[in-house]
Amino acid sequence: MKALVEQKTEGRSALQRADELGKRVEYLAFMLGPEAYAIAIGGIAEILKPLPITEVPRSDPKIVGVMSVRGRLVTVIDLKRRFNLASTFTMDQKSRILLVDVGGEPIGLLVDEVFQVFRLTDAEIEPPTVLGSEQPPYVVGIGRPPGGAVLMLLDLSPLLQSDLMD
Amino acid sequence: MAENQGGGGRGESAGDKAREEFFSEAQEIVDSLSRDLLALDDVCGRGGSDAELVNDVFRAVHTLKGLSGLFGAAMMSGLSHELENLLDDLRLGRIELTAPVLDLLFKSVELYGRILAAAKGDAPEPASEVKALLSALGQVSQQRGGGGNVVAQYELDPGLLGVLTEYEEHRLRTNLQSGISLYRMRVQFPLLTIDSALDDLKAKTRPHGEIITFLPTGEGGDTESVELEILVASRAPLETIRGALAGPNILIEEVRRRDVAVSVESQRTPSPQHAGTLGPVAQGSSVEQPAPSMEDLSDDAQTVSTGVSAPPAIPSAPAGPTSAGKGTAAPPGPDKGGRELTLRSVSQTVRVDIRKLDHLMNIVGELAIVRSNVARIAERVRREFGQSQLATDLHRLHRSFDRHLGQMQNGILEVRMVPLGQVFDKLARIVRQISREHDKQVNLVVTGAETEIDKLIVEELSDPLMHMIRNAIDHGIEGRDERMHVGKPPVGTIALNAFQKGNQVIIEVEDDGRGIDPAVIVASAVRHGLVPEAEAREITAKEILNLIFEPGFTTREEATALSGRGVGMDVVRTNIGRLGGVVDVSSEVGIGTKMTITLPITLAIISVLVIEVCGRTFCIPLASIEEAIAFDETQVRTFEGREVMTQRGATLPLARLGKLFELEGVRPGVWINEAAATPKPPEVRPRQKERSYVVIAAVADRRVGFVVDRLIGQQDIVIKALGKTLKKVRGFAGATELGDQRVGLVIDAASLISEVLASTTDARVVGILNPANAVEGGRA
Repeated sequence: MKALVEQKTEGRSALQRADELGKRVEYLAFMLGPEAYAIAIGGIAEILKPLPITEVPRSDPKIVGVMSVRGRLVTVIDLKRRFNLASTFTMDQKSRILLVDVGGEPIGLLVDEVFQVFRLTDAEIEPPTVLGSEQPPYVVGIGRPPGGAVLMLLDLSPLLQSDLMD
Repeated sequence: MAENQGGGGRGESAGDKAREEFFSEAQEIVDSLSRDLLALDDVCGRGGSDAELVNDVFRAVHTLKGLSGLFGAAMMSGLSHELENLLDDLRLGRIELTAPVLDLLFKSVELYGRILAAAKGDAPEPASEVKALLSALGQVSQQRGGGGNVVAQYELDPGLLGVLTEYEEHRLRTNLQSGISLYRMRVQFPLLTIDSALDDLKAKTRPHGEIITFLPTGEGGDTESVELEILVASRAPLETIRGALAGPNILIEEVRRRDVAVSVESQRTPSPQHAGTLGPVAQGSSVEQPAPSMEDLSDDAQTVSTGVSAPPAIPSAPAGPTSAGKGTAAPPGPDKGGRELTLRSVSQTVRVDIRKLDHLMNIVGELAIVRSNVARIAERVRREFGQSQLATDLHRLHRSFDRHLGQMQNGILEVRMVPLGQVFDKLARIVRQISREHDKQVNLVVTGAETEIDKLIVEELSDPLMHMIRNAIDHGIEGRDERMHVGKPPVGTIALNAFQKGNQVIIEVEDDGRGIDPAVIVASAVRHGLVPEAEAREITAKEILNLIFEPGFTTREEATALSGRGVGMDVVRTNIGRLGGVVDVSSEVGIGTKMTITLPITLAIISVLVIEVCGRTFCIPLASIEEAIAFDETQVRTFEGREVMTQRGATLPLARLGKLFELEGVRPGVWINEAAATPKPPEVRPRQKERSYVVIAAVADRRVGFVVDRLIGQQDIVIKALGKTLKKVRGFAGATELGDQRVGLVIDAASLISEVLASTTDARVVGILNPANAVEGGRA
């Protein structure tokens, strides 16, 4: 019991220390092939294990298909194909579907693996220009959390919005 | 997240809700206003006039004024105020109901619609138009003139004349001016049964004439009875009236003209207050019913904010038999019980946002999945655990669940259904407007307005139908002189027919105009590059007619200002197609054109045939399936590379669904079993199929046989729209959950049939099959 209380206070003080360092934003990091990406966790409604997905003949190759999440139809997009990281489609037990809301419509983003949530301070985020001056607008920065991981931080809403438009 | 969105605005504040209610109520009133005006226009066109209809219109405007005042819709309330003045003048005969006046009234209905749209933020406020209308209304009001003093020529008791309301006086004057005889009845009524006896008498009188007023005479009565003097205007001779109304306590005499005219002008006290002093008797007269008072309106406001429907103003004023010409949509109001003053809502209706019904329907869909799971468990219990008693109980439970679920589903579907009359009424207004713009006389004949169809479909129908009617008047109906010249009646006819046929609703728009000239169509299509000149000579009559649905098609040489609005028949076809329907056209030069729309009755729940092709499951709506037969490969013939077979003596074009969807040879994709650690690609079916089937789909008169691998069974499904990203994929109407969390795509038979048949003449159609979709073999 005592240990628990100690742990708690310790946790809280760690949190306080973190606050002193600056505002932190939570990012969910995931893998697409060998590369690590992350998006702000506020935009993710749910992380789903693979459910049966029905392919839609004649649809855009970046679309995996449709699935039903508690009665709602969700269009699943293969992020790897969206970013031209792969031309074939793979899915295994580690695959996850990130459920996001795009203009009121639920969209599932298929990723290879979800590993953890990083709380990044402003100081831990490099501007996208470090990768070169011409970066796509959905890359908002490079995250460098303690521990040596390097994450490509994405803001997908403009990208997905434009997908819906055409 | 999923739950939050289905609820349909639970999070809205009470104010928003009240506003929503205001909009829908105002819209309802405007709609019924429009109906009444049309009826009035009709009566007026035949040279008559209907006092009761004018009253209905007056009441509607009055209610709108009250409502808009409550919600601070200043423009609407200003317009209503001026209109009310005009209508009051009309009602009291101060001005004549002429075509220009009617035009103003129709214009105001249109403006009401636009003001409502503007208030919702859908459109800019029509400020300048409202201003123009207001000044036009003002001008009309100034033109009021008085009627002659014909009343004075009759032997009427000045005391009686003195207590007539201005309205009653107007009716009296109008009747006398048109030379209708006036009769005075003295009737003894027992006090106990006066209400019903008076109703009886009124009903008996109505076929013969109009009751102007009735007043207690103050004589001849005793403690148990009362004597009323009733003034009746009628064209019938005295004997007929006596014969029809004779009774023990009834005395009837004709009111004769005086030899010497005596002015009763000085004795007139034209004050509507007198109606009030007569108490319930005057109220029962049904000639003048006071417009809803402020109490009524504030009562409305309360019910609006509590979310229970306030009675729409029109039906809440049951108007007696003269309202027979009104639309079919008015809910039946209590006719007799409504006489006592009550604060209770007259109509028992609740207005519901259709999204809430969609939400309920989704829940029913979920329950249907639960139901099939229960059935499966019952079966397992019986087979694997040998618990036959338990299994039987479960089965019984399942059956009862099934039955109730079916009832619930039907109930919700029923609620969604509305009569097509809702959209037809709007069209009647359009016909009137367009025919006046074109200076053509057109008679719209509507049948089947009571045919019911899903509310969502009705909403989406108005634009396409309006366009078709515009076309019919603009291009179809000839001018008066031309019609006379070819021996047609000078007034053109547009027939709007609706009827149900199985699971489909058919709507026909038929005109008796000049028809579509194939030569003109082909020439125009060639000129606009829609058809190569070489092909133009071989084109069939049916194909020629279908050219009018091509994007970019127009017949410039005939078109007027109306046709250049950028909405072509291709948009009509696209819009109808989105509803799962098709448009067909047939025409004979010189005789007329008929457009036929075939629509599914509902979009919410449909019965489908579940089929399998190349390991994938698809659903085909049963409404578009004629039959499914075993496929015999030896029966297939090929014409120009297209497969057909003969079925019952007719040629049936075939389409192999696997080929059409480019699934052949591609391993089925990601049917991932959630229990499986690693998704296994489902087995590829052996090449030699034991047996295939042909599902014969038919929409309107087009038929195609789709070759599929397996028929799985019939199922009722809740169809859900595909997301925006998938909207442009052709051939699917939506998707549904089939149980086991699997999603099945629902095939849009109409669009696939068009596609297959189009490719008979046009090989380019292959281009729409996305070549990028040739999925790699390494999938899964």
